[in-house]
Amino acid sequence: MNYIFHIIIIINIYIILTVSTNLLVGMANLISLAQAAFYGFGAYLGVLALMILKLPMIPTIFFVMFFTALLSLIIAFPSLRLKGDYFILATLGFQLIVFTVLYNWISVTRGPYGIPGIPAPKLIGIIPVSGIIPFLVLSSILAGFVIFIFYKLVHSPFGRVLKGLRDDEIAVKSLGRNVTNYKILTFAISSAFIGIAGFIYASYVTYIDPTSFNLDEAIFILAAVLIGGTGNIKGPVVGAIFVVILPELLRFVGFPSSIAANLRQIVYGLALIILMRYRPQGIAGEYKLQ
Amino acid sequence: MNEDILQINSVKKSFVRNIIDVRGKEENERFFIIDDLDLQIPREKITALIGGNGAGKTTLFNIISGFMSPDSGDIIYQAENKQMSIIGLLPYKITRLGIGRMFQDDHIFHDMSVLDNMLLADADDFGEFPFISIIYNRKNKIIEQERIEKANSIFKELFGEDNPFWEKRDEPAKSLSYGQQRLLGLARLFMGNYDLVLLDEPTAGVNPQIINQILIIIRSMVEEKDVTVFLIEHNMKVVLDLADFCSFMSHGKITAFGTPDDVIGNDEVRRTYLGV
Repeated sequence: MNYIFHIIIIINIYIILTVSTNLLVGMANLISLAQAAFYGFGAYLGVLALMILKLPMIPTIFFVMFFTALLSLIIAFPSLRLKGDYFILATLGFQLIVFTVLYNWISVTRGPYGIPGIPAPKLIGIIPVSGIIPFLVLSSILAGFVIFIFYKLVHSPFGRVLKGLRDDEIAVKSLGRNVTNYKILTFAISSAFIGIAGFIYASYVTYIDPTSFNLDEAIFILAAVLIGGTGNIKGPVVGAIFVVILPELLRFVGFPSSIAANLRQIVYGLALIILMRYRPQGIAGEYKLQ
Repeated sequence: MNEDILQINSVKKSFVRNIIDVRGKEENERFFIIDDLDLQIPREKITALIGGNGAGKTTLFNIISGFMSPDSGDIIYQAENKQMSIIGLLPYKITRLGIGRMFQDDHIFHDMSVLDNMLLADADDFGEFPFISIIYNRKNKIIEQERIEKANSIFKELFGEDNPFWEKRDEPAKSLSYGQQRLLGLARLFMGNYDLVLLDEPTAGVNPQIINQILIIIRSMVEEKDVTVFLIEHNMKVVLDLADFCSFMSHGKITAFGTPDDVIGNDEVRRTYLGV
């Protein structure tokens, strides 16, 4: 049973990641390869808040969201002036820089040794949230919250502007909307919620090291979004469930884990190729990526 | 208040083009697409801009609406009680000042619904700041409802009680015919509060019946909404029919300005542009 709960918690974390990433990729047409960097920011900032500042849970979440969004502006300002492929390359560069800093700034992040023994976040300052059931509840509530917020955002006038942006940026400008502002806001919002995923991951696993937030992870998050589909909320949720459950299914089929790990990569790759060819909007998405 | 809504003073815009001569020698040549252009657009009138392909008409529109910046020169915009230079402002700011634009290739949102195309064009952007519409849920709903009513009344006013646009409001705009997409692009301009509207070839590529509809809409803009219209047009019948003034552009300059009859009767215009 604990195994199933564990899978659900991981799914919840990935739902937060993919639903937030979808706002960038599927709504504003900004393909970012730096999502793992923000995921990492969330995790390390969460550790900072829990271990050094000793904040309770709710303030920790706001702390993480605020500072992840702030850090995302470092990349947002210079790179949002770039278009299309150049933007992707800029986020790729940022992802690599962040990983290198996390890996090598040993006096702060302990680098490759990682940070063990992350304490349980304390609800209202006293009740510690630890163990699998409380985390199941916590992650489900947060994932539900994120889905709710993004559903509202996508169906608000703000979401309409983003749909306009992915459709025709020049037209949005000519109708008197400040395109750069909307892109920066989208970037900051997406990053803030990805920070939450990092925080849950760090406090659930109680150990983090930079390899969880490398380029592979960034590509993995993006692949999950693209496989599930972009443009609506259903798509990224399906994507998150798909990428988390698939390797577990492969394990049940009876492949030894060493083969299953490689097979997993092959299946993701194949799924992406097949989807891009036959169903560019992903399994449950509505927007065809151009 | 000055009677010209827009004064374009000695605007210059150049591109560098790369020329390879017969001996294979490369040279960069500075080429003035707009060369010391002066033009005044009279308020609440329809002014047409005619000229050959590559004369710089669309470039001039891009400069006025802020998508390009000129090398030198100034453009003074005079709205109700403000007079200002609009050079160097970003396109969205120029739109906010009351200068609307319809592009040559429509630029409507093809994947969005017909209604969303209208709502996104609203002058009031309440709720478009993230979370505002979540926090002020109720106010947002009221404003959205008002926007929808506004779009409905614009459709009714322009296209009659039973118009295809309102019937197809939830279908993507690409499901409309080409002519209808053009009409939607025009209807969208009624959502904003514009004093000056730039139309880039509004009648190009559509059938005569829709051309008539477009002419009626443009006239109603000027007569009922007190909008000034500045349009690029290649159809001389439309120019004669619609425009109060006509300007002829050639080699980056305005070489003739006056009533459409005068300009089209001008020897130089007849020889170099109309070819008669």
